[in-house]
Amino acid sequence: MYKEKKKGVWGIILTIFILILIVIVSNNDGENSFLENACSKIIMPIQNGFTFLKNKLSGNDSFFADVEKLKEENEKLANRNKELEKTLKEIESIKTENETLKEYLGLTEKYKNYKTIPGDVINKDISNYSRTITINIGAKDGVKKDMTVIAEEGLVGHVISVTDTTAKVQTIIDPASSVSTMLSTTKEAIVSKGTLENKQTLKAVYIPTEASVIQGDSIQTSGLGGVYPKGIHVGTIKKVVDTENLTDRYALVDVAVDFNKLNSVLVINQ
Amino acid sequence: MKKIWINIALVFIALLVYFLQENFFTWFTIAGIMPNLFVIFTLFIGLFCGRNKGIIYGLIIGLTLDIVVGNKIGIYAVTLACVGLTAGMFAKNFSKDSRLTIMLMVAGLTAAFEIVVYILNYFILDTNVEVFEFIKILIIEVVYNVILTIIIYPLFKKFGYFIEHEYKGDQILTRYF
Repeated sequence: MYKEKKKGVWGIILTIFILILIVIVSNNDGENSFLENACSKIIMPIQNGFTFLKNKLSGNDSFFADVEKLKEENEKLANRNKELEKTLKEIESIKTENETLKEYLGLTEKYKNYKTIPGDVINKDISNYSRTITINIGAKDGVKKDMTVIAEEGLVGHVISVTDTTAKVQTIIDPASSVSTMLSTTKEAIVSKGTLENKQTLKAVYIPTEASVIQGDSIQTSGLGGVYPKGIHVGTIKKVVDTENLTDRYALVDVAVDFNKLNSVLVINQ
Repeated sequence: MKKIWINIALVFIALLVYFLQENFFTWFTIAGIMPNLFVIFTLFIGLFCGRNKGIIYGLIIGLTLDIVVGNKIGIYAVTLACVGLTAGMFAKNFSKDSRLTIMLMVAGLTAAFEIVVYILNYFILDTNVEVFEFIKILIIEVVYNVILTIIIYPLFKKFGYFIEHEYKGDQILTRYF
């Protein structure tokens, strides 16, 4: 009996230990951890040796090496060509941007003229499949349903329900949220939807077939739909994904606001 | 008198579970994915206190969640009540002594709960459907819940048998699986 009990306790301690380990390892994003370092120190010398051997064996034939060289050069040139084309496109878009700068200026002025109510985030969602937040200002402070919520960096979401002292906000990264947005350079209207996949990206769909979408282009709200006012910064395009059918293509948008560190917000009170 | 104290203790534990989920487990995550303690808690209540208590507690906890964090009232209330009901039915058919049985129950109920909530959300809130991402998150969540069950179960088992004794009196165990 005593032995059984002791075994159970050790099992629990072991489980807790494993759980902590999993949590630490799984949440280590990008940075080189101690574990990774240790593993690479053991494996890399052997890998280096193998690579050296492989180079020795395959480097004997000079003809093939020449072909390889040519191929490489060709690739390099093609890449350079692509880059130049891209810069050309960018210059074009900068031109259009320049033309609309005046309008922009007007918008920023307007942005400043919004009356805002400051508030703090007090609650985050408990579910893995939705991303709403609760803020500590409510009907008493003048918050109403469907008001727009922003942070310093850009758009956060809109109010979905209000109590006297708190308000629930559906963020733009919620999978049920879709924001009508536009590309700031070409003014093409697109729809940005929240995804389950990533907490910092939106999926921009319904991109017009003739529109040219460029990586790094900034995205702002279009004012269509009536919830969000026009001209609030949403994020920048991270990647354009071309599919077989041009109408199906979509883009991934990096959200300007860091939702993991979101603490204080502003509610626009028009 | 004892039953009142038990209920007060259960409400207190429910609050504790809420604050754990809201504060600790939003930070202590596996790859950004949290467990779902409410399913485990409702399952335990259904198992040890019977079907009716399971349904009532599921409804109350679910309604509170709907009001405090949810988008539409009713989604969590109905699904958590169903969890309580299923747990009550499990209690009649399975032994509560085996840890493996409990783990399987937690895994199955968590998966069923999240799938139903996701489908309801799709119909009510028009969520975008991403099946593969959903399954990925679901698997990690189920594993996390099972790991937590291993840790919590021995603690709750003693309390659970105490409650069961209070409510149902001594019983002769006739089931061995």
